[in-house]
Amino acid sequence: MIGRYELLSALFPPLFFLFIAFPLVALVLNLTPRGLAQAFGDPYFWSATFNTILCAAAAAVMGVATAVGFGYYHLFKRDSVIYRIADFLNDLPVALPHTVAGLALLLAFGRRYFWWLGENGLAFTLVAVTLAMFFVSYPLAARAVQAGLEEVGRDLVEVARTLGDTPAQAYARVVVPALREALLGGFLLAFSRSLSEFAAVIMFGGNLPGKTQVLASYVFTRVEAGDLEAAVAASVFCMALSLAVVALVRSLTGAGGLQRAQG
Amino acid sequence: MLKVENVHFSYGDRTVLRGVSLDVEPGEVRVILGPNGSGKSTLLRIVAGILRPDRGRVVIDGEDVTDRPPEDRRVGYVPQHPTLFPHLTVKDNITYSLRNGRGDPDQLDELVEMLELGEHLDRRPDELSGGYQSRVALARALFSDPRVLLLDEPLSDVDLAAKRDLVKRFRRALRRSDAPALYVTHDPWEAERVGDSYTVLLDGRSVDADTVDEALERLRRGAPVGEGS
Repeated sequence: MIGRYELLSALFPPLFFLFIAFPLVALVLNLTPRGLAQAFGDPYFWSATFNTILCAAAAAVMGVATAVGFGYYHLFKRDSVIYRIADFLNDLPVALPHTVAGLALLLAFGRRYFWWLGENGLAFTLVAVTLAMFFVSYPLAARAVQAGLEEVGRDLVEVARTLGDTPAQAYARVVVPALREALLGGFLLAFSRSLSEFAAVIMFGGNLPGKTQVLASYVFTRVEAGDLEAAVAASVFCMALSLAVVALVRSLTGAGGLQRAQG
Repeated sequence: MLKVENVHFSYGDRTVLRGVSLDVEPGEVRVILGPNGSGKSTLLRIVAGILRPDRGRVVIDGEDVTDRPPEDRRVGYVPQHPTLFPHLTVKDNITYSLRNGRGDPDQLDELVEMLELGEHLDRRPDELSGGYQSRVALARALFSDPRVLLLDEPLSDVDLAAKRDLVKRFRRALRRSDAPALYVTHDPWEAERVGDSYTVLLDGRSVDADTVDEALERLRRGAPVGEGS
């Protein structure tokens, strides 16, 4: 007989394995040699893979660089209007439907304001894909830096300042090196989030095979074309890539690294 | 010379310092004693420029530095825990102030010898015991050629056996410096060996004492308001 206090722990295994683990297993169970051959023989699959990794890496670098700047405000300018707005908006990209994010990016950087860069502004280019990934993944990097700053402690900054550092010097010379683990965690989190992005990317970057198509949109295209076996093969490849990143994060930051990095 | 004049400070609604004043001569080590929460660390952070007093002045060598940031005060600060820069070696920690044009590279050998750090110069802080971390923190503060030294329970992370040796070394190193020093400790034994003079902080006010016994007696009685400095 299970008491009411044991109910939640008793519910966890069936809920987790049925709704989280089983779909992943189902994907692998449906993998076929023919699907693998189709996907791996398709040049668009490889260009989508290349685009995904390139743009996700660029977005993660942008995310970490911006998060480092945010960290300075978090440490030294917490009362400023800039910090308050940034801290509030940091969580918005996570809560916002990513189609809305894509549309916002399209309006901001499309032909309306950036007509002078080309017919569609920045839209439907790899830059657009990168910006869409950056938009949705930056909050993870920012939260990773914020969590890292809580561990670094203000004493380091205070000592550095008594030794002659300005706040900016203390931040660059002492705090940022001490944040190394948080920055790495933030980079990998932003990278893995970027790998999985679909909606914002397709709205702003489009889904042009060989040009702006990424793995997520490649899978979508193959499913739409009724080519399920190739879609499954590409999905398993995508899942393996994501698992590799998660394993890397855990090995570099310890088993609880992801949770810590996410604050 | 260090002068703290009528300093008041509050954390929100909680008043910590209510008109603290003290004068410390060059080369003098003034030990600050007081119960937990009496404002000892707050006083040091105000002198360092980390906190700004609500009222009152901090004067170093005749110059009012109350409105100056820490980087413009030339104070050597050893916080409660050694707080070494974890990504730098011991040597780079000690000579950190050179990046800002402070300190004399020729002083390094003397400091290293005095605090017996020679074997540890290339190590990282996490490879050192608490006692050696405290030595490095003191060496770093002394190397920066400070006008005032501020030590906030610098030996709190050190076990009793190591403390006996370290107190002597700290005393020698502080004597070598001509800077006035404020030294916070809870330990009467340490206070007696390191201090030249004593100030008790109680209920936000300061009272001077000539000996540790007098300071402890004032602490026991609850130092009367308005007495001393």
